[in-house]
Amino acid sequence: MTPLLQLTKVSKHFGGVRALHEVDLSVDAGEVVALVGDNGAGKSTLVKIVSGVESPDTGEIRVRGEAARLESPRAAAEAGIRTVFQDLSLCDNLDAVQNLFLGQERYGPVWSGRRVRRHVMEEQAQRVLESLSVKLRALNTPVVALSGGQRQGIAIGRALISDPAVVLLDEPTAALGVSQRGEVLDLIQRLREQGRGVLVISHDMKDVRQVADRVVVLRLGAKVAEFRRGGYTPADLVSAMTGAHEPTDGEGGDL
Amino acid sequence: MTSTTAAPAVTTTRNRVGRALETAARGHRSIPVLVVLAIIWAVFYSQSAAYLSFQNITNLTLQIVTTAILALGVVFVLLVGEIDLSAAVLSGVCAAVAAGLVVNSGLPLAVGIAAALVTGMVVTFVEAQLIMFGVPSLIVTLGGMVILQGLILVVLPPEFTVSVAGTSFAKIASTAVPAGTSYALAAAGTIAYAAYRLFQHRERVSTGSLTSLAAVVVPSAIVAAVLFGGVFTLTRQRGFPMPLLILAAMLLVAWYATTQTRYGIHLYAVGGDREAAQRAGIPVRRMVLYSFLILGACAAVAGMVDASRQLGVSVTSGGGPLMLNAIAAAVVGGTSLFGGRGSIWSAILGALVIGSISNGVQLLGLSTEVQYFATGSVLIVAVAVDVVLTRGSLLPGRR
Ligand SMILES: Nc1ncnc2c1ncn2[C@@H]1O[C@H](COP(=O)(O)OP(=O)(O)OP(=O)(O)O)[C@@H](O)[C@H]1O
Ligand SMILES: [Mg+2]
Repeated sequence: MTPLLQLTKVSKHFGGVRALHEVDLSVDAGEVVALVGDNGAGKSTLVKIVSGVESPDTGEIRVRGEAARLESPRAAAEAGIRTVFQDLSLCDNLDAVQNLFLGQERYGPVWSGRRVRRHVMEEQAQRVLESLSVKLRALNTPVVALSGGQRQGIAIGRALISDPAVVLLDEPTAALGVSQRGEVLDLIQRLREQGRGVLVISHDMKDVRQVADRVVVLRLGAKVAEFRRGGYTPADLVSAMTGAHEPTDGEGGDL
Repeated sequence: MTSTTAAPAVTTTRNRVGRALETAARGHRSIPVLVVLAIIWAVFYSQSAAYLSFQNITNLTLQIVTTAILALGVVFVLLVGEIDLSAAVLSGVCAAVAAGLVVNSGLPLAVGIAAALVTGMVVTFVEAQLIMFGVPSLIVTLGGMVILQGLILVVLPPEFTVSVAGTSFAKIASTAVPAGTSYALAAAGTIAYAAYRLFQHRERVSTGSLTSLAAVVVPSAIVAAVLFGGVFTLTRQRGFPMPLLILAAMLLVAWYATTQTRYGIHLYAVGGDREAAQRAGIPVRRMVLYSFLILGACAAVAGMVDASRQLGVSVTSGGGPLMLNAIAAAVVGGTSLFGGRGSIWSAILGALVIGSISNGVQLLGLSTEVQYFATGSVLIVAVAVDVVLTRGSLLPGRR
């Protein structure tokens, strides 16, 4: 089976900083891949490359087996890749509906000046937010006034609204309380059941063990280990992340 | 229009109060300016009853029309988080181009107007390119202002002034729409607005969204009051002045574009958080360019209206306090200097505040320094309010 998303030898430098070095990574349909690593390991950089925010220095990205040039967020979206960024990337001055549909508004014909079909968006927004168990008092207040969890919910909802094939989640549970954390993990399971590919970044080893079919470990920009579900202990992950000692049962444990 | 045939079967009454409050809250951003305006009017009225005579109100609105049109363009630029200092001088250059073609070369008025619009937009296009290249807009337009001050000398004939008295150009400002026609326009405007609100109401009913008839009736009543009140007041003398009709038409288009369309959402998104807008796939650079082009067009219109009112163009056209007044108007009206917050109404409301002060000072024969003190204080207070609002909305760890 060709993977939905496949990265080959992707490298990225910021000035003198090596953020990513020849990273290989693939995500299959109906698979949840967790990306773990210490702070500054390059996880967000990888997400930004796949979502079209940054472009790689070298390396190749294939979507459904075809070489893809993800030059802009729009190109990535058109390739079926949607991202929930670590900083959520919401516009504080816009309301929940406008943020959910930002860049993918439902609008009328050109003669109407692309009039926004607000009622359609509101109805759909309501459904998406409900499915994520996000409760908002009003859909038309600027999101700046919302709680961290509500903002997170809107950011996730935005990624799902266009029915993407691949969903990237950068620290999706970081801002959440216990119950909402459970909701997001459930959601990730549902995305898998729907046959989507999910790449999730998390610092929480419990979450990773619970949802991930595969775990990829980055350290200082390089992939240092890859584990399959059930084939690792939390200690294996930690040692791979910190480089404390060589992983013994990893598949790609080259340093 | 793609009509929703589903009739409002049952209007849920439980949401009615909520919707009415919501509608009131929408207009709420303009309320501080309206209060300030009411205070200014009350103060001057208590000193001289002539201040609120029909004649003086008409004078006041005509005095602010140039500032308001320019401020409208400035609002678009402020909304994307940029600034422009060259627009006032640009308005003078555009007027000089138009007057030169119409008066000196004898070309039709339409050609002059088109040439002015093109001039304004070409200049702001170039400015926008430099800004996107990475030069701060403050510097680009500060330099632009100086360059344009030179350019107006080039565009004007050797005697450095063009008189437009008695030409078709002067008719722009001197035309007055007869009272009957004005009332008909006000009625048509009210009906069109109410019909649009009703259409939106039925759309929302069709998808089961929250709505109530109050969302149709309340705003329509406000629009009717403003339109008919405006026509009643401003047609006392000789009919509705053309410059005000131009301003009203521009405000109408700007209202629709900024609040009802996809363009409007993207405009606010770019001003709110450029990075987030970029990541959502919005063409940020193009949105910034559009704002500058709109400012260029507004500057051209402002320049022509002003030249037509002053019956001529000279080296001082677009000079004086016009630029600062236009920016101050936008900011006093509630548009943030930091981008993403404010509305097009701030252009007219802010211009009214500033115009009301200077008109009152002149009417009462007070010394000019009073006007400067009052205008400056209002501006600083308005920006202070803006700073407080903006800081209150900044989350930790961002920007
Ligand atoms: N825009 C940038 N300019 C310069 N350096 C950058 C930039 N973005 C990332 N880096 C550097 O690249 C490296 C990887 O950063 P990245 O944000 O990908 O880490 P991360 O794994 O997401 O960390 P965290 O767990 O803290 O989110 C870091 O050393 C960082 O300083
Ligand atoms: Mg990160």
